[in-house]
Amino acid sequence: MTAIIEARAVSKRFRQHRRFPGLLGALKTLFTSEYTEVTAVADVSFAISEGEAVGYLGPNGAGKSTMIKMLTGILVPSSGAVSVLGRTPHRQRMTNAREIGVVFGQRSQLWWDLPVRDSFELHRRIYDIAAARFAENLGSLSELLELGPFLDRAVRQLSLGQRMRAEIVMALLHDPKILFLDEPTIGLDVVAKDAVRRFLTQVNSERGTTIVLTTHDLQDIEQICPRLIMVDQSRLIFDGELRNLRATLGSRRRLTLEFGVDPGVLALTSARLVADEGPLKHYLLEREDISLLDVLTEIGADRDLKDVKLKEPNIEEVIRTFYQGRNAAGAAG
Amino acid sequence: MYLAFASSALQTQLAYRGQVWASLFGKLIQVFAWIAIWMSVYGDAGSVAGATLPEMVTYALIGGTLTTAWDWRRLLNAVGASVCTGDVAVYLLKPMRYPLYLFATECGNLGYKLGAIALPVGVVVALTYGVLPPASLFHGVMFLLFWALSFVIIFLLAVLCGLLAFWLLTAFSLEWLLQGILSLLSGTAIPLWLFPDQVAAAVKLLPFAWISYHPIAVYLGKTSLAETWTYLGLGLVWAALLTLAVAVLWHRAALRITVQGG
Amino acid sequence: MGSALRVLPFLVRLYVKSRLEYRGAFLLAISAQFFSYACGYAAIWILLQKFETLGGWDWPELALLFSFQLLAYSMGAALSFVQFRDLEEQVRLGTFDTLLVKPFSPWAYLAFSGLNIGYAGHIILAAGLMAWSLTQVGMDWTPGSALYLFAALVSAALVNAALITMIGACAFIFVQSSHLYTIFFGFWELSRYPLTIFPAGLQWLLLTFVPLGLASFVPVAFLLGKDIPILGEWGGLAAPLAGPLLVLIAMAHWKYAISRYQGGGG
Repeated sequence: MTAIIEARAVSKRFRQHRRFPGLLGALKTLFTSEYTEVTAVADVSFAISEGEAVGYLGPNGAGKSTMIKMLTGILVPSSGAVSVLGRTPHRQRMTNAREIGVVFGQRSQLWWDLPVRDSFELHRRIYDIAAARFAENLGSLSELLELGPFLDRAVRQLSLGQRMRAEIVMALLHDPKILFLDEPTIGLDVVAKDAVRRFLTQVNSERGTTIVLTTHDLQDIEQICPRLIMVDQSRLIFDGELRNLRATLGSRRRLTLEFGVDPGVLALTSARLVADEGPLKHYLLEREDISLLDVLTEIGADRDLKDVKLKEPNIEEVIRTFYQGRNAAGAAG
Repeated sequence: MYLAFASSALQTQLAYRGQVWASLFGKLIQVFAWIAIWMSVYGDAGSVAGATLPEMVTYALIGGTLTTAWDWRRLLNAVGASVCTGDVAVYLLKPMRYPLYLFATECGNLGYKLGAIALPVGVVVALTYGVLPPASLFHGVMFLLFWALSFVIIFLLAVLCGLLAFWLLTAFSLEWLLQGILSLLSGTAIPLWLFPDQVAAAVKLLPFAWISYHPIAVYLGKTSLAETWTYLGLGLVWAALLTLAVAVLWHRAALRITVQGG
Repeated sequence: MGSALRVLPFLVRLYVKSRLEYRGAFLLAISAQFFSYACGYAAIWILLQKFETLGGWDWPELALLFSFQLLAYSMGAALSFVQFRDLEEQVRLGTFDTLLVKPFSPWAYLAFSGLNIGYAGHIILAAGLMAWSLTQVGMDWTPGSALYLFAALVSAALVNAALITMIGACAFIFVQSSHLYTIFFGFWELSRYPLTIFPAGLQWLLLTFVPLGLASFVPVAFLLGKDIPILGEWGGLAAPLAGPLLVLIAMAHWKYAISRYQGGGG
């Protein structure tokens, strides 16, 4: 499958004006001018195919937003090349803009004092959408995200969740091939987040819209994106299937066995005992290839086993473990 | 504590160095413009309405730099914004009084404006056109008193208008309104002695006249001993009245904010 | 391009609609601004009661100058001032990015989505004062001079809009542009008065670096048959041409400024 989004060794550097602290420093800024250079993205490469849903993950300052800005034509890479739908985004900005939709989590594109419908109407004119297609899209999308009750209400009267849903619908009204979302679920309550995630998954599977999503929230990725690109300190550190993240970064499933009667010390080869509370024993399964069945087989049939709980670490734990390991490795030198 | 606020205000201002140079330039242009106007209308005339050209140059200099050094718009808008959003409620909780806090901060801002802008501009203009010294020692000292009073009055007017924004729901219109009034009645650009006699008599009694006109008239020795003391007294009365007005409005606004939450 | 014509009127309609949501504040605002400028002019009127002329211009002539300058400014600024002054904040918050992802000119979107009807107060005052002064000024009116007045007015509005846009666009390069507006308005106040009262240095600046002199004094002086410093005979021609020329310069500047924004300002 050919890639519709491609980044080749992309880097982005910024210059920042230095500020000096204190009263004397304030006087100093009057007369001098110094810059520091900041690297936001360093040598990142990846290729996304049509119809994929990709999550772009990383801590603050890792370079997620900068990457999205380069993909959407807002910023020009300092080095390397970006290609979207066969074009260089910043060189053919308007043509590119027609075929993509962008949703900014913290920057609204809706008119604050006017009904949602008015913003949509403006969108129709700017993107030159045929009347019939517009009506159809508006109808089906607003039904999916339940915009009906507040289409005619002023944006300033909407909750954050409602506003976000409206923004996402607006970004899809012109049938874009790619939908970029920059932290779309930030600040939303659980119900709203769920609605947005289900909707995006549906849009991806039913309309074939490619989705690129930056986020802090790992559940966004778990629910929407089978593929994950992870960045940290401006570099790409992982690109692949979500389930491989556990394998790559290491996973430790927690196993809790509850017995009718304390069977005594029960050490196993398939799992590591981490806590012994008599009838309740906690183990860690540190190997991907060992299954629950293997552990139960090892324990045997006549142990009066009452209950078994197996807990997969969520992505957060996986990543936290990864960072802890990285920091430890860094400290160890 | 209040000293810290003044110092902090000073620091914040200096951080925006582009703005400092620009303000300096803007002020310089303004003063030069008015001196150009006076030089043009006076031509060769010696004295008009009791003032000579050198006196008008000094008038424009003091009016442009000393009596208008402080930027009342910032305070008006800041007060307006904080009462309109109810942010001011925060200050009701702190162990200090909001108006005093404002005054301390604005003294810091005044200090900055005087040192960074008024002083350089004054020096440049004085060197270019020459500035007259005070008419006498008495007038010089009184000028300083009038100048302090001038700052207090414009400060109170700015706070008053900012508070009015609470009921009008906008500070923008009040800013323009006050600006219009000041441009005509404060004597900053046009000395009040140029007004028709009866109008002048009335305008001289309005609080706005103490912002520029009275201080400068005293400096130039246009007022007799008795007149100077009288106007100082009247000025203090106005300051007291304005303080009362501010206190009343502040109390009512604070009451409504704590009850309704802005 | 055709779609642009469909978008722009709609943009203006939306903005006017959102502005009129706050009708009271809007009416208060334009009244307050009308009042403020009227006070400023009244001050000069009082001055002229005592001195009769300023730089050789009597009150009706000055009134024409003031009203021309204000009218040109209001029309130009309606399309530019608030929109491009606030660009600084849009750059800082990153909201300008939302304009770059649309298949539409960011400049046009900015200018028209905020077409400032708030200048109504200025325009009413200026138009009124101009109408009065045109009858009082000792001048023979011909179709030619009327046409010139109109052309010079449009050009002057363009000069204002172009300068304001260029200053706002500096936000892409320097992040801060508000101090440049302070300088602009300093010159703008100067351009209200006859250029002849200022020293040569200022006259030069007002005709070249910040050519607001071409947006007020020069065309009005030409119409009234007054002497024009530095430009002399060429002043009459320079005024109507200044607008379109500055627009071209502003467009080039805008392109450059945006490229800096995308390149790595921050």
